[in-house]
Amino acid sequence: MEKQSAFNIHPMDQFIIDPILTGDSLEWYSFTNQALWMLISLVSISFVFIYGSRKHQLVPGRLQSIAELMYFFIRDMIIDIAGQEGLRYFPYIFTVFILILFGNVLGLLPYSFTYTSHIAVTGFLALSVFIAVTIIGFVKNGIGFLSLFWISSAPLALRPILLIIEVISYFVRPVSHSIRLAGNMMAGHAVIKVFAGFAGALGLGAIAPIFAITAVYGLEMLVVVIQAYVFTILTCVYLNDALHPGH
Amino acid sequence: MASNSDNSAVGMPQLDFSTFPNQIFWLVVFCVVLFAIVKFFIIPRMEDIFANRRKIIDGNVAKAEEIRLRVSEIEKQIEEELQKAKSQCDEIMNASGNIIKEQMALALEDSKIATTQLISEAEGRLKELRDGSEAAIEKISEELASEIISKISIGK
Repeated sequence: MEKQSAFNIHPMDQFIIDPILTGDSLEWYSFTNQALWMLISLVSISFVFIYGSRKHQLVPGRLQSIAELMYFFIRDMIIDIAGQEGLRYFPYIFTVFILILFGNVLGLLPYSFTYTSHIAVTGFLALSVFIAVTIIGFVKNGIGFLSLFWISSAPLALRPILLIIEVISYFVRPVSHSIRLAGNMMAGHAVIKVFAGFAGALGLGAIAPIFAITAVYGLEMLVVVIQAYVFTILTCVYLNDALHPGH
Repeated sequence: MASNSDNSAVGMPQLDFSTFPNQIFWLVVFCVVLFAIVKFFIIPRMEDIFANRRKIIDGNVAKAEEIRLRVSEIEKQIEEELQKAKSQCDEIMNASGNIIKEQMALALEDSKIATTQLISEAEGRLKELRDGSEAAIEKISEELASEIISKISIGK
């Protein structure tokens, strides 16, 4: 594909799933680079939340502050959006949040693997949220959950049209929910990789792409946190719809 | 299967569906483990820290409230004492004012009596003097008349 070896830019290579223990064959149980980074994020989470706050300090230290900040940020968010009943689902939502947040942030390390850039991962998470929220909606409200689609505050003539729109938008939720996250992660990393390829090819002129990488990296720092936040807040919004379907 | 031995991606590795079972398997494994960590380690710890902090803050707030109550009580006491002192002061002032008034009235009375006495004394003395002078005039005029008579009778 490439004419010169200098322009060896493979921005998508970083997303290749590679079995790292079992040679080249990828079975469903093979331990891959993706699984490794999930494990690393699990260890990091344990480090921040369990080691960082092991002293149960009244006035938190640095690590405990970070842990508390994340914990109470999500807790307050659920209460704000879904109300006190939403707190029942806090462990699930918090698990999703830190899994995505740590995946995103660790993915910014050079040579790391961003598991949240994979549509299989985000799609699975989004589908789980979608299915869980639908089940919660029907269990909590019975058939009344369908009032989510029948907007009683709208004029009667508009309601059938709104019904169609609402039903479509409801079923599009897991798609937009997952692609938003995976797309953001993939695009940012690919852009950095492309600029890095330019830097490798330009010699002394590499100062410009390196500057660009720095800028994009700064932007990505923002994006990874915001995307984790967006995924979580949308989960809360969907949960709120399930708990209180009347608009 | 999906992995490329030359480490070069064709298209988007994200859309390589043959990797999906593997990805989802490990995601489920780590989600379950992470959920267990969250549920059994992170949440109890955070809630414990939060509850402890809440307890201490509430304790301090209660203590502050108690101190505030005591301060207001003390203020009320001070107010009461002040009121008492003021009324005492008023009483003393009234009493001493009355005494002064009484004494002044007494002194006035005394001086009145003394003046009337003096006046009557003076009047008495004046009357005496007047009486004395009348008698003297009478005596002198008698003497003068008798002398004139005798002079006239001698001249005859």
